[in-house]
Amino acid sequence: KLHFITAGRLFDDLMKEEQPESKTTYWDTIFRLVLQGQIEKACRLLSLHSARQTDDFQTLINLLKRMPQLSNVYKGSSVAEFDMKWRHWRDECQRNYEEQKFSINPNLETVVRILCGEDAVFSEVKDCCDPWYHMLISKALYQDPTVKACDLHYYIQGCQDAYRSTTRLGELDSILLSALESDVYQVIKDSRTVFSNGWFVAHLTDLLHHCGQLDSHRLQFGSDLQREFLLLEYAGSLMSHHSLWIVGVSYLDHCAEFGRKYLELYLDHIPLDSEKKANKILKICEDRNMTEQAKSICKVMGMRCIRNKRLGAALTWFLRSKDVGFATVLAEKYLLEYSESGEFTNLDLIDYLGPSMLLSNRLTFLGKYREFHKLYSEGEYHAAGDLLLALLQARLAPKQFWITLLIDALPLLEKTELIFSSQQTRELMKCLEELTTEYKLGKKRDGLGFTEARKDQLDVLKLALSRNLPKAILQEGTVNLL
Amino acid sequence: MADSIQSFVKFVSRKISKIKWQPSQKQTLECSDTFVTGSWDDEKNKICLWHLGMQESMERDEMDDALEPALKCEADHNGDVTGLEYVGSDVIVASSSTGSVALYKHHTSSQTMGIQYKWQCLHSHGNHLCPCTCLAVRDKTIVTAGEDGKMVVLSAEQKSPQRIIENADSSTINGLVFLRHTEVISVNSSGQLKTYDLRSSSDAPAQTLSVSGELTSLHSVDRHPGQPHIVATGSGDGVLGIWDLRQEKSPVSLLEAHNGPVWEVKFHKTNSDHLFTCSEDGAVWHWDSSLVGASHMVQTQITGTGAGSGGANFSVNPSFQFGGSETLNKWLSPDNSKMEINSLIDDNILPVNSVDIESQTLLCGTDSESIITIRLPSMR
Repeated sequence: KLHFITAGRLFDDLMKEEQPESKTTYWDTIFRLVLQGQIEKACRLLSLHSARQTDDFQTLINLLKRMPQLSNVYKGSSVAEFDMKWRHWRDECQRNYEEQKFSINPNLETVVRILCGEDAVFSEVKDCCDPWYHMLISKALYQDPTVKACDLHYYIQGCQDAYRSTTRLGELDSILLSALESDVYQVIKDSRTVFSNGWFVAHLTDLLHHCGQLDSHRLQFGSDLQREFLLLEYAGSLMSHHSLWIVGVSYLDHCAEFGRKYLELYLDHIPLDSEKKANKILKICEDRNMTEQAKSICKVMGMRCIRNKRLGAALTWFLRSKDVGFATVLAEKYLLEYSESGEFTNLDLIDYLGPSMLLSNRLTFLGKYREFHKLYSEGEYHAAGDLLLALLQARLAPKQFWITLLIDALPLLEKTELIFSSQQTRELMKCLEELTTEYKLGKKRDGLGFTEARKDQLDVLKLALSRNLPKAILQEGTVNLL
Repeated sequence: MADSIQSFVKFVSRKISKIKWQPSQKQTLECSDTFVTGSWDDEKNKICLWHLGMQESMERDEMDDALEPALKCEADHNGDVTGLEYVGSDVIVASSSTGSVALYKHHTSSQTMGIQYKWQCLHSHGNHLCPCTCLAVRDKTIVTAGEDGKMVVLSAEQKSPQRIIENADSSTINGLVFLRHTEVISVNSSGQLKTYDLRSSSDAPAQTLSVSGELTSLHSVDRHPGQPHIVATGSGDGVLGIWDLRQEKSPVSLLEAHNGPVWEVKFHKTNSDHLFTCSEDGAVWHWDSSLVGASHMVQTQITGTGAGSGGANFSVNPSFQFGGSETLNKWLSPDNSKMEINSLIDDNILPVNSVDIESQTLLCGTDSESIITIRLPSMR
């Protein structure tokens, strides 16, 4: 009923007619219904015929109604009982036919011949039970309804021969043949090659595996590996689909042996079109503890942001994956920007880093340096001075940045109130010395040195420091006395 | 006798990124029966209009059919749909991952939908395309934000943008919602909320709030329908945050919710005690705060016994009885042990990207290429 719906459709059409028998499809429909075993519908159609009250019609309808149905073999009546009943009924049909009751109407005769299971009649009505497996079922229904599955092959040849002249056997037919012969492995093998989509064979093998129907040693790899192989194949075709990759992930999850490895490889190939998609794939990695992939996704997204000059967004990606190397690179980029332009960008991110700045030394330096600026702008000069010195002493600052830091000390030194104590001033002087000697050495080697402007700035600094020292000593001394 | 939750799953062969109810007409009291969906990750994405309604001749056993949406019309959309809103009753604005924003007009007479106008390349990285990540609408003003940290203010009636705020944010802006008529709040991937006043000439945010500590991205934001200073956010690690914008810079409460990023947070428009969240972990949660400490008084000037539930008997100065002190909104109450949280879908493994609620029907758009319609029992 599910596969061969022509009969049902024709039946519905005819039932709407006033005089169904006038239509050409009338008898055709009845044949089809009978061949499908839809006796009740066939009876209804027959009873609509104008000549239904005649003897032959009545006999036929009676016969049809009395056809034994194998409704439920498990409840009570056994197969043997049904078989006996059926044979009785078939004999009756036979008798009726031989008594020539239906000789007037050839159509009725055909129906009875079908009921008797006569071989020849099936060839006559073969158009109504196309393709061969339909005829196979119909024949089996009327010739031997209790036929066992393994005996079906006796009928197959006959059915196929009936259609040999009109149609060729296709690949689907050979799969069906293998299925009828219960040759599971052949079915699997052929399904793989025949169907373009691996869905059928993957699920079929999976189901068979779970039912324990696959015999391990008959398969090349063993049943679970075979199943896995097919699932991997199918999942692979999904993963390359632009939107079904997410379904492929679920399939790979169920492949115990190789699923994870395959997933790791496939995930690297999914295009990261937008941040939202990247976030989704990241979650898939994080759920399965695939830290390598997660890190590489963050790296790709971060690099893309850097290329697009979105340093703030890049930083969020690197912080997320806790990528020390790249965080350092970014921090240096920020510092470079500052030393070139004198201004910070992306302040809204840097100022709110909080404990995340501890990821990398450079980043910590950046955060603290910003803090210094904030303290200075808020007028907290002492705290700012302390922080500046701490940054220099802790060697958190890269050497290139020392100049900037020292120059930053200048405004603090020039304040009327004393910011740096004598100890601190000495520290600053030490740093300055260290820096200048290093540069002098560097100059001898590479010819690099300070620019003129820088040299002037450093001279001013030296002056300021040397002025601050006695001031500091004096003040400290004075306090002590008091 | 509790009504059970009825739901219906409709497969639409496209992953849905956004789903939105048509706003109900002000004149009628009926709630809307039309909604629009936007898809993503497909070669050809579509904006589809659906109708969900009761037919005239309804029998008892056909009630389930009332939850099945029927497709009315659809239109092609270039790129993923990243934001979807109604502007008026027949015009839909959609933002795309190609950085453009388009207005679609629904022609009710012919049941078709076509592009009315398209703003191209609103968001870009120099010459490259950059996704527009979210949009918000208030009357005829549309605000969009993208991965380039730019915020663009458009008017549905003008061709060129009204205002472009370059560098509004140094990280990607993930969600936008209007607080008041000219005030917008955004959330970004560094876990910050920023409010912007569109009338002011300065491009800087008026207020910035964040959770101190780890930087976890925020993906969604919605404001309380009655009180615009209360805002709820959904974060990248599944935490629902409730914020009071008048107060300090940190959230009032952080509720651990989902196992993955919370893609959308929605307050119920008329019954604001109810909140809905949906997430990458495939769950949709319904947060019901109607039972939370109802008469929690803030001020300390009250003499007498503390507030009990319903009808406190304390001796209060007469001046207090008439709005002298406010009752703390249920969402802001520090004691939320009575908050009821229900998970609305079972057996869903693929992410839910978007939810929208209208009276009693909740719509969910998922990555399992389905629209889930859930009819909730009457809410308190």
